[in-house]
Amino acid sequence: MTVLNIIFYIAAAIVISATGLAITRQSTVHAVCYLVISFMGTAVLFYLLGAPLLAALEVIIYAGGIMVLFLFVVMMVKDQQSPVDKPSRIKKWFPAIILTGISAVMAGLLVFADPGNRLRPPAVMGTPQEFGLILFQEYWFPVEIVSLLLLAALIGALYLGRREAREEDTI
Amino acid sequence: MTIPFTHILFLAILLFAMGAACAMTRKNLFMILIGVEVMLNAAGIAFVAAAMRWQDMNGQIMALFVMTVAAAEIAVALALIVCIQRRTRYTNVDHCSMLKG
Amino acid sequence: MKPVLFLLISFPLLSALILALIGRCLSRRTVETIACTAVVAAFVLALTAFLLSGQKVQSLTLAQWFSAGSFQVDMDIYYDPLAAIMALMVTFVSSLVHIYSVAYMRREGGYVRYFCFLNLFVFAMLVIVTAGNLVFLYLGWETVGLCSYALIGFWYEKPEAANASAKAFVVTRLGDVAFGIAIALCWINLGHLSVSGINDSAASLDSQAAGIIGFLLLLAAIGKSAQLPLAVWLPDAMAGPTPVSALIHAATMVTAGVYLLMRFFPVIQGSPLVMALIACIGVITICFGALAALVQKDIKRILAYSTISQVGYMFLAVGAGDLAGSLFHLISHAFFKSLLFLAAGCVIHALHEEQDIFRMGGLRQKLPQLFWLFLAGTAALGAFPLTSGFFSKDRILLAVFLQPQAIYKVLWTIAAMAAVITPLYAFRLFFVVFFGQPHADRSQAPAPAPVSHPSVPNLMTWALWPLAVLSLFAGFLNLPVNWAGNEWLTHYLAMLPGAARELHASPEMESTMQLGSALITIVMVIFAWIFYGSRIQPSECNDETFQKKLHTLFLNGFYLDQFYQTWIIAPYRKTAEFLWHKVDAGWVDAGLDQSARSFLTLAERLRLWTTGRVSQYVSMMVTGFTLILCSLTVTWWYLQI
Repeated sequence: MTVLNIIFYIAAAIVISATGLAITRQSTVHAVCYLVISFMGTAVLFYLLGAPLLAALEVIIYAGGIMVLFLFVVMMVKDQQSPVDKPSRIKKWFPAIILTGISAVMAGLLVFADPGNRLRPPAVMGTPQEFGLILFQEYWFPVEIVSLLLLAALIGALYLGRREAREEDTI
Repeated sequence: MTIPFTHILFLAILLFAMGAACAMTRKNLFMILIGVEVMLNAAGIAFVAAAMRWQDMNGQIMALFVMTVAAAEIAVALALIVCIQRRTRYTNVDHCSMLKG
Repeated sequence: MKPVLFLLISFPLLSALILALIGRCLSRRTVETIACTAVVAAFVLALTAFLLSGQKVQSLTLAQWFSAGSFQVDMDIYYDPLAAIMALMVTFVSSLVHIYSVAYMRREGGYVRYFCFLNLFVFAMLVIVTAGNLVFLYLGWETVGLCSYALIGFWYEKPEAANASAKAFVVTRLGDVAFGIAIALCWINLGHLSVSGINDSAASLDSQAAGIIGFLLLLAAIGKSAQLPLAVWLPDAMAGPTPVSALIHAATMVTAGVYLLMRFFPVIQGSPLVMALIACIGVITICFGALAALVQKDIKRILAYSTISQVGYMFLAVGAGDLAGSLFHLISHAFFKSLLFLAAGCVIHALHEEQDIFRMGGLRQKLPQLFWLFLAGTAALGAFPLTSGFFSKDRILLAVFLQPQAIYKVLWTIAAMAAVITPLYAFRLFFVVFFGQPHADRSQAPAPAPVSHPSVPNLMTWALWPLAVLSLFAGFLNLPVNWAGNEWLTHYLAMLPGAARELHASPEMESTMQLGSALITIVMVIFAWIFYGSRIQPSECNDETFQKKLHTLFLNGFYLDQFYQTWIIAPYRKTAEFLWHKVDAGWVDAGLDQSARSFLTLAERLRLWTTGRVSQYVSMMVTGFTLILCSLTVTWWYLQI
């Protein structure tokens, strides 16, 4: 049980608890904030799993970019809850807990059953150089495609968010 | 550092289940989206863990792509939520039932 | 000789075809001429063939019919003395009936159809009597059934005629099924279907096979000849025109059954059980017909039941092994019964379609010619001494009496008792129709005014005179020995297999029996005169209820019709209705409808699933995902184990 193992389990605990808190908040902003903490923990996990570049990218893109965008839009949109009667919390969460619980158990069984999974893989760092080389040599074509995808998303978001949209425009 | 692969996968499964539960249960459109994000994140963790187990960089590459696509998707989804809020005055998923059969 | 036989069969067929195809375009005179000429020519040809053939057997093949592998059936003719006599009788009576029909049908519209079917009937009957193999005979057999259906139901718009013709067809069909099975059994057991082949090899049948084939042939004969289990169609068949009744139901079709038994006598002879059965059925039918004829009110129904009874005598003779006696009675019956039917037709026509005998009366003065004709027929029917009926019936009774087995003595007794009733009902009919005054039965509506000057077309009466002469004097065909006769008919048929039966009775016994029956007949005539001649009784239901019950029992034909209705027709109807409503409409149709509707309902219910609520959709997705995972896990665990 090395230090890194301990750090791993602590980070895992943080991620799980932060996510758990995030999904149960009433207020959206609170949820987003907890989610940011969760992503930070995920970044630590990535580093421990031998992907330092990805850890950095997780913080930059996910926590820093996406969640901030989230916050912007949440605070822009008048977040009115419609007056519908809310069932009690347990009743609301009951089917979800059952279903996801069952599937988690099943997936766990499947994972556990393969003896090869119980190995302890060696801790090797994947350096950014290696990462970059493979990314731009083997996967140059998907990179181009993804950039096109981002362009499309950009244009789409721009168009959808126009202020002068008339009522008859379809979404 | 030797963490059993199953532990990491358990973690990913747990996170995925939590994201699915959130997407199923919450009525607020933003919260649904957050659930989706959590699920994507869990998938990324699984990919990176697999990359370490098989000592293959392709897993990390895939995690990167997941992140990128998640970003694009969030952008468009948030724009959609804005549109929905403008049309129906609420960001409640129950009001989006125009495709009711 | 061969052309004669060929033309004999072809003339009636040809005329039927011509009438069927172009009869509508021809004038009435032409149609009548064609029809009558064809049958009269057939009679002339039959006479020629009879004179030319001597007592030899002629056979010729008319045409090749069909073959299936090694099974070959041709239309061939087997003309022996039996066929010669039958052909003569059939053509003679048919000619007279055709001539009579010319006048009878004068006011009818469908005369083309009538004459066409009548000619076709003559053709079919000639096929039956001259057929050389069983399949060709079956062709003729079925065709007479068809023509009988068409002619009984001639006035098909009347429901009773339509029902009667359907009934006749269905009932005779039961016999035809047995006939078909018999043909198959003959083929299997004997390997021949030709008449000569079967009769020659009949000795090789063991008594069980002979019994079965004989029994099936008996069933076929019962159907066609209206004997007891299947006798129900003949009284109702009187709904057809009277000449049709005269030809078909007196002289020819009902005798086709007897002819079948006579033709295949070697086969039947092989089983004494079947012979006794034939005789028993004959006797029971005699009694049935005689008792029922005693109380009927409709003139044609009396004659119908009388036919049933007299054909029973022919069956009795065949059962007693006396072919010559059976044929003799067949011929004399043909003459006097067709005479009686045609004369009844004259009476009905003269009184404007009145058929209830208690509304007729006093016709002696009004229709004198008909009086003597009817008297001739009635005397022959009642076996008045010296008529043809007397000799033929006596010969039958003698043949039965001479049979060694004990059962035949019993049958003789019963037949003799029935012979008491026959002159009674015959002369009852005669006296009620021709003597006394008409009056109405109290229970019925008042009778219409009696026809003051009844008249009969001359053609109809002239056609009857030959029949009257023959029914009185045809006894000379087979005059028995004690009258210094030569028994011509018996000797003529001597070469027939199974027919050479000289009755080994002493002349004294013969004379005694004949004297006995003659006395009985005369006594019965006097009895009938007392009861029905001088004082007319409107109905025989007197004070005692037992007599009244007997009366209604006989009147309804021993409730045989009702028996069939309750036990066969009604259950069949019920089953058919059940299958129709409950099974076909209920299960099959409704099942189909229900399954189609269930799909509709299912679709409706499924439609409610698309609520449009996204959260529900997400839940469904997660549910599906869970299920897939579960199934994967379970499968994988099972594989491990």
